[in-house]
Amino acid sequence: MLKKRLIFTLLYNNGQFMLSRNFRLQKVGDLGWLQTNYDFSKISFSIDEIVVLDVTRGVRDLDRFCDSMRALAENCFVPIAAGGGVGDIASARALLRSGADKIVVNSVIAEAPSSVVTLAREFGQQCIVASVDLRRDSDGDLQVLTKSGSRPEMESAYAYLSRLAEMPVGELYLNSIDRDGTGQGLDLSLLDVLPKALTQPVILAGGIGNASHMYQGLTDNRLDAVATAHLFNFVGDGLIRARQALIKDGIALAFWDLDILSRLEVNRWRGIH
Amino acid sequence: MGTTITIIDYGMGNLRSVQNALHYLGVGAVISNSAASIASADALVLPGVGSFRPAMLALESTGLDQAIRDAVLTKGRNILGICLGMQLMGTSSTEDGVTQGLGLIPAPVERFSDRDGRKVPHIGFNTVTAAAQSQLMRGMQDKTDFYFVHSYRMSPLGLAGRVSTCDYGGLFVAAYEQANIFATQFHPEKSQTNGLLLLKNFLAL
Amino acid sequence: MSVQNLRWCQNCLAMSTRPRLTFDTRGWCNACVWTEKKKTLDWDARLVQLRQLLDKHRGNGRRFDCLVPVSGGKDGSYVAYNLKHKYGMSPLTVTVTSALSLALGDENLKAFVNSGYNHISINPAYNAMRVLNKTGFVEMGFPYYGWLIAIHTAVIQTAIGFGIGLVFYGEDGEVEYGGSTETEKNPIYDVHYQRRIYLEGGYEKVLASSGLSDEELYFFRFPEANDLEAHPIDLTHWSYYENWDPYRNYLVAKEHCGLKEAEETNPGTFTNFAQNDQALYALHTYLMYLKFGFGRANQDASIEIRRGAMDRQQAVNLVRLYDGHYPEEFIDLYLDYYQLSKAEFDAVLDRYANKGLFDKVDGRWRPKFTIV
Repeated sequence: MLKKRLIFTLLYNNGQFMLSRNFRLQKVGDLGWLQTNYDFSKISFSIDEIVVLDVTRGVRDLDRFCDSMRALAENCFVPIAAGGGVGDIASARALLRSGADKIVVNSVIAEAPSSVVTLAREFGQQCIVASVDLRRDSDGDLQVLTKSGSRPEMESAYAYLSRLAEMPVGELYLNSIDRDGTGQGLDLSLLDVLPKALTQPVILAGGIGNASHMYQGLTDNRLDAVATAHLFNFVGDGLIRARQALIKDGIALAFWDLDILSRLEVNRWRGIH
Repeated sequence: MGTTITIIDYGMGNLRSVQNALHYLGVGAVISNSAASIASADALVLPGVGSFRPAMLALESTGLDQAIRDAVLTKGRNILGICLGMQLMGTSSTEDGVTQGLGLIPAPVERFSDRDGRKVPHIGFNTVTAAAQSQLMRGMQDKTDFYFVHSYRMSPLGLAGRVSTCDYGGLFVAAYEQANIFATQFHPEKSQTNGLLLLKNFLAL
Repeated sequence: MSVQNLRWCQNCLAMSTRPRLTFDTRGWCNACVWTEKKKTLDWDARLVQLRQLLDKHRGNGRRFDCLVPVSGGKDGSYVAYNLKHKYGMSPLTVTVTSALSLALGDENLKAFVNSGYNHISINPAYNAMRVLNKTGFVEMGFPYYGWLIAIHTAVIQTAIGFGIGLVFYGEDGEVEYGGSTETEKNPIYDVHYQRRIYLEGGYEKVLASSGLSDEELYFFRFPEANDLEAHPIDLTHWSYYENWDPYRNYLVAKEHCGLKEAEETNPGTFTNFAQNDQALYALHTYLMYLKFGFGRANQDASIEIRRGAMDRQQAVNLVRLYDGHYPEEFIDLYLDYYQLSKAEFDAVLDRYANKGLFDKVDGRWRPKFTIV
């Protein structure tokens, strides 16, 4: 049976990792902080996927981002999706060669949809994750915003997503700007604007603060995965405990035998190649 | 360990993850696109992410397809195909018209049907039922979760060998083992401890 | 006080060391019990009381009819915003300038005022403020004691000066965070209550022994009794009339009053959107930590638990990581302000560190306890 997924999103900004509060960024710490407080070589055994987004406002340094990706990916044996300002083959390839398995695209869907087709043709449809950021306007209608939430798109959210469903993307990553970083729980009403024609898996993000919010999301049949970027709330054993709680409450998540680790007789390769 | 593994680089696929996993297990794997490296390796890994046709074109234009056949069929080296790599080892694929594969696994590759409401691509961890006497799944439960991300697959119908299956709108081939030919549709390097154990089993063959 | 006797609330992380904190049979502290009660409280009835109070004072645009102390931060901004835009009052907002204001605090205050409010900034005599702050720091472990006095006294004086009979503070800390519950049911109080609860006694003595002139102390004194009788003032807290939610206040202030968060995490906690106005806050919370064992992160985490954003174990992890931060980033600022050497400064901290809770290791006070 295909399991639901628990995804952890890391927001990268010029060498630092951030907490986003309604798309305003708060510096949390660098890679060292992450490794100390999340110990990815252990914590990553409690999540199904990692998403790393370069949310740098202003000029992005792809090489530096790729360096961080390589460090993160080193002992991380789950899929990693990477993105942030990606629209061309060269950037995508750089990320894939640095440890990413999938590419996340966002603004380019609106700015240059043909680029998405080109990327899919080059790397395969399942390699492309389409990220869409949503916010409610003053009338309460959902609106798509691109460019790190700074540019409202004219067409309705439903029309935008319908168009997206026709494009060769592998998955949808929907994010609520209103709930982002609030710890108030996911906005499941975002799923109401999903077009009926959609065949791709859906990941919902924005608002998770604790395991009960994850539970609310994962029990909704319209989505396949939930994602959280709350870098504070899950420090230490937060992700492990969340996963255990979800499994105990009956959510079908993948199971990995952690006892295997000791049987692997790990002797790290220290050679030069 | 003394085993030299070559991870075949034909321009497609997340080679680094496979290499990281093998390093974690204490084996120094080399990423290479040279026929010489393939010829001299003790065992091969053929990874792959992307589309069948460009992948076969890449293998053929560089002569790597022949290097692989030589190593596997003539010299009897063990090979592990992963995801697209497994598909390339099949007879053909209907992705972008019909393309011939390496023919190391006697099965064609076809798309999942999304008619019965299942989402395509097949993405996420799903349960694999291990083939009897599977060497890749040694030490694991009969049913184990692995990470899949694909739209195309092989059918187990009439396929000889040790075939481990997964059910997604019907059974499909999750892993294949026959003589020195091994392949997984899922990504062991992305399947946490389960995947690491599988890779260890391959290394121990 | 010994580590063995320590208890923590079973819902949030409030510590038994906090003055006036109590636990119910489940081990929940009064702040958490109050949060529960607030869910089923008859807020409609309180809203009626609010409207009556506002109608009593409403000036209909001809004069200022209520006074709101603000700092440019989320809470005062939220109250002012509601009074003006939701209830049609004509608030005057007032800030008592803090001693070591932060650039972000100044920006936020400006943004708040520019978003559409009448505002007065009171700057009590600098030297008096400094003397009182220093006395507070050294003698009581309250690093901005002078300011704590002035936000009560100067505000009352402003109210009288402008003929405003209604003053809205934001939250009643005693009720919301566990302490005295005298005002749980009586929203309107007077200067005497203020004196008693908020200035924790010792106020008169400090002024008397300060060596400061009457002129310097003007803003630090409550008005004379006959003045107060001639100008009665209703003092109240917004938190009585509406469910107080600091996070909601932050979102509204961000949306409507130009509030900006700090780009980095604030010292001693994991938040960046609260208490951005003055550098002494970090010292205040560090002293609180040394005296009682809980600091800024503990308070923030407990708020997060009560609003459902995280569970207790998540909070424990964060508090272990962030609580009790020695404010290194501001040390030069403090030493210069108080005219103390580092050794003298640290000696003051040592005085207030609860030796039953802390051990000094490598020049820093380390907790002997772990949160359970």
